[in-house]
Amino acid sequence: MTLDAVRATLRRLNESLTQAYAQPYRATMARAEREEEDLFRLLVAGEVLGVPNPASYECAELLPLILEDLHDWHLRMGQERSPMDHLRCC
Amino acid sequence: MLLTRLRERRVVVVGGKGGVGKTTISSALALACAREGRRVLLVSSDPAHSLGHLWGREIGDGGALLHPGLHAVEIDPRATTQRHLQAVATTLRRLMPEHLQDQIEPHLEMVRNAPGSHESAVLDRLAEVVLEESREVDLVVLDTAPTGHTTRLLALPQTMSLWSQALLTRRERSGRFGDAARRLGHARGRDSRQRDEELMEILARRTHRLRALGERLTDPAHAMFVAVTVAEPLAVQETRALAEQLHADRIPLGALVVNRRAPADSGPFLLRAHRREEASLAELRATLPDVPRVEVPLLPLREEAIDMLGDIGDLLAGSPARRPGGC
Repeated sequence: MTLDAVRATLRRLNESLTQAYAQPYRATMARAEREEEDLFRLLVAGEVLGVPNPASYECAELLPLILEDLHDWHLRMGQERSPMDHLRCC
Repeated sequence: MLLTRLRERRVVVVGGKGGVGKTTISSALALACAREGRRVLLVSSDPAHSLGHLWGREIGDGGALLHPGLHAVEIDPRATTQRHLQAVATTLRRLMPEHLQDQIEPHLEMVRNAPGSHESAVLDRLAEVVLEESREVDLVVLDTAPTGHTTRLLALPQTMSLWSQALLTRRERSGRFGDAARRLGHARGRDSRQRDEELMEILARRTHRLRALGERLTDPAHAMFVAVTVAEPLAVQETRALAEQLHADRIPLGALVVNRRAPADSGPFLLRAHRREEASLAELRATLPDVPRVEVPLLPLREEAIDMLGDIGDLLAGSPARRPGGC
């Protein structure tokens, strides 16, 4: 085994161990981000889900920007087709 | 004197019970200031829009020149909502699949009729008028809808800016979690950074605008609140409530105009009314001892609105105190 091969193996090992170590933290952060975004969507697009929104007027201008998110969201919720009445992505 | 005090101000908000003459008093103030050579913008946020009726002409959301130096605008929340939603619809149409685009209208219709949309639209347009369209103007006179609406209108910029600030904070939090996840090697499906920035920008712009409007309308150094009332028990009760609400919102009440005061020297009928009004006036004096007060007598009708407004303006400007404790 050449020295380079040893180095490469050690590097790979280091990467896998780092990955394994970071995995739970990464998952936690990703989940926290997702939850924050779900809450944001609920606040902005509440009325598409039937929740009255006290600031519909102000939220309307944010709708185009969260439209893309809504698609990912309903897929994640296990619904193949958009559950919303009006704002449909698919 | 009221007009002298107005010379140092950039914004005057005129409020009071329905039917006491807010539109007349604000028009008279605006006209008097314009005649002094100041450039004045008279804005009506009352959806009933008596401003156009009083001046006997069409004013509307686009505005009209009423007198040299005096420009007027009647805020139309419906037109504002229409413009706002039109812009949203255009963007949505670009983003949504074509076969689903007929869904956009029903949704925006829902937004249009949602509770709160009307108020938000008034606020949005008011911010536009007061912050942007009044740059060339020395004084903005705001003729408001009856009391309840006015106090709410003054408190709303703060409420709404808190709301958009909260959304902004949520967004920042999720951004931080996302960054942390990515630094730990989390691969996210697509890069949403640009969209996030757009979201933040919209929210920050709205927060900033509402806050600026709130400050412009309530800053004691530049703005003054004038309460209009008549010397009748119900109106006095409402003026007290208005003063309390303003106090709670930390908005100083700059002056009190007692409108349509019955004259003592025009026959026995009006003399009796004059005496009856004394009780209400005494109550006003007792509850708001420190607020400068001006009385505007019941004036004979004049052919032209502008003459009547001129008469009232003279009274607001020059008349010395009619009784001890007066303005």
